[in-house]
Amino acid sequence: MNIFQRLASNGLLGPAESGGAAAGTPGDAPQEEDEALVLRAQAGDMRAYDELVTRHRGRIYAMIRNMVKNETDAWDLAQEAFIKAWQALPRFEAKARFSTWLYRIAHNAVYDHARRRRPEGGGEINDEIFNRDRIDPAAVALPSEARSPDDSMVGDELREKIEAALDKLSPEHREAVILKDVQGLAYKEIAEVMHCSLGTVMSRLFYARQKLQSLLKDEYDAR
Amino acid sequence: MNTTPDEELLALWVDDALEGTTAAEVEAWAASRPEWLERREQARQVGPLLRAGLPAVEEPPYAEFFNARIARELARESGAGAVAPSFGAPGRFRRWFLPATAVAGMMLCFWAGTRISPAPVVVAPDPVAAPPAPYLYTPEKGVKAAYFASQPAEAMVIVLDGVAAIPDSFEIPDTASVVREPDAATAEIDTAAP
Repeated sequence: MNIFQRLASNGLLGPAESGGAAAGTPGDAPQEEDEALVLRAQAGDMRAYDELVTRHRGRIYAMIRNMVKNETDAWDLAQEAFIKAWQALPRFEAKARFSTWLYRIAHNAVYDHARRRRPEGGGEINDEIFNRDRIDPAAVALPSEARSPDDSMVGDELREKIEAALDKLSPEHREAVILKDVQGLAYKEIAEVMHCSLGTVMSRLFYARQKLQSLLKDEYDAR
Repeated sequence: MNTTPDEELLALWVDDALEGTTAAEVEAWAASRPEWLERREQARQVGPLLRAGLPAVEEPPYAEFFNARIARELARESGAGAVAPSFGAPGRFRRWFLPATAVAGMMLCFWAGTRISPAPVVVAPDPVAAPPAPYLYTPEKGVKAAYFASQPAEAMVIVLDGVAAIPDSFEIPDTASVVREPDAATAEIDTAAP
């Protein structure tokens, strides 16, 4: 029982309804279900919001994780995005899809984070300076790996190469290509998330893909 | 098609998302424009590779805790009077009524305290406060946690059922161990030899 459920069962958050949070993704879940949950959440039903978090956390975390690369930062930023979304929920209108709106909030959280980090904090611990090799991959604290070791190794190698290539792009180009080619957003949605025109999205995608094509040439040849 | 297709059509064509006559028209227009053919080729190469290497959906580590932490933060904000959909700003009456009632209550208690003579002290056993139910978070799946507290024994026991056994080869790092010398006032206890 999580805290939403405990608070609800204590009568603090309104009537508890049957049925747990549905696991899934916005791509899988019909938009109507999101809209219904949003309406309930706007009326103060925190169980409905908990369900929205459960449905969207996978995509939002993946998008942020692909942008910032640091798991801990991604975890915190994804949380920040959902907290800001709750605060802004009364102002949300169903003109856009809830998932697109969330991506936009996540986009702002990532850019605010980048701005905060730009002047390197004196004496602050920077996770990125630590060599990844020093982290024990068998540490119990890491999430368990569901894939087979071989698949996992091949997948991780490819991921590392792609992440290294993405790292050479500007944040705008990186985000455009992640939202399009990984998250599968439509051009109009990307324009909405990134506060720019459709033409700008196309232009950013063109340059991002062009650079990635040359950086990842070995991967194409190997396939 | 002689005229340039609009941006939306071109974007869909680059992604191979057009069908029928519209696709054929844009195809005919792009046939003599190698830069657009190149764009489509890039999309065909880069897209599948990125989808193969990067997950579109990735559950955050400790997903249950992820939700719980958000809920806790929202509950904290609600308690602090932050704007939240479920808890609107209190009405003007309620805003003034509650502090006024509290002040009046305090004054009444003060007045009553000055009038009442102290009653003989009756020794009664301390009421046993019900301890709040602890919330045990276990990050690993399959691990069951149980909490036992015994006031008479002054002991707390947390049982983690399902945690992998600590191997014999595991050594506690030096930095984690603290060796304390006994104080001068510490009595030495001789234990009887078996």
